[in-house]
Amino acid sequence: MKGIPTVLITVSPEVSAQMRPPRALYPKGFKIGNSLGRPGMRDLQKQVLRDALSLLTRNTRPGQAETIEYPEYGEQYEPPRVKKLG
Amino acid sequence: MTTLSRKCVPFTPFDRELSRSTIAIVTAGGVHLKDQEGFNIADELGDLTYREIPPDVDSSQLMVTHHHYDHTDADEDVNVVFPIDVLRELESEGFIGGLAKKHIGYMGYTMQLKAMYEGTAREIANEIDRGSRADAVVLTGG
Repeated sequence: MKGIPTVLITVSPEVSAQMRPPRALYPKGFKIGNSLGRPGMRDLQKQVLRDALSLLTRNTRPGQAETIEYPEYGEQYEPPRVKKLG
Repeated sequence: MTTLSRKCVPFTPFDRELSRSTIAIVTAGGVHLKDQEGFNIADELGDLTYREIPPDVDSSQLMVTHHHYDHTDADEDVNVVFPIDVLRELESEGFIGGLAKKHIGYMGYTMQLKAMYEGTAREIANEIDRGSRADAVVLTGG
């Protein structure tokens, strides 16, 4: 079976982990709707995308997200949690 | 049809140099061209369709139809969920080789998980595999 290399940028790492992404970047504290950063923050957006693409060339642990902090993003947000049943 | 174990991580190695690689974006953030039909947010089961977005698109011609996240910021700068201009800048800097011939937007909300997983996801993978010449894909959500 042929596959396509992918890398996910997620702001909901716990939720995304349920789908076991082969490579994933979690920009810590970014809110939903801000996967690459805030509007107009092109330098930050470029850095996030560079970091995500770089995961393709590194030895990552498949199924786990790499967390990177970007202080220039500003106010941080708590990611959504997976609701446990029972 | 190949079926993967639920515990399997479908890892595909990447053995190229980024500076010689073509990259596609696939977003679940509900991004589409303004002159394409919007996603059906009236159906509470969700929308299983997707939209093709060309690599030379003017990002001001993109919009978001999605009712399960606040896309106010994406309305202002679509690059926060669909980094097409950012990707072009990385190409001009030589960080990547180029943009794929096809990028994809869909609405990543559905109550029809089986149809999304076995239908839409495979269709998108085929679009990328056969039609985009992408060496790798960046996935984003809302």
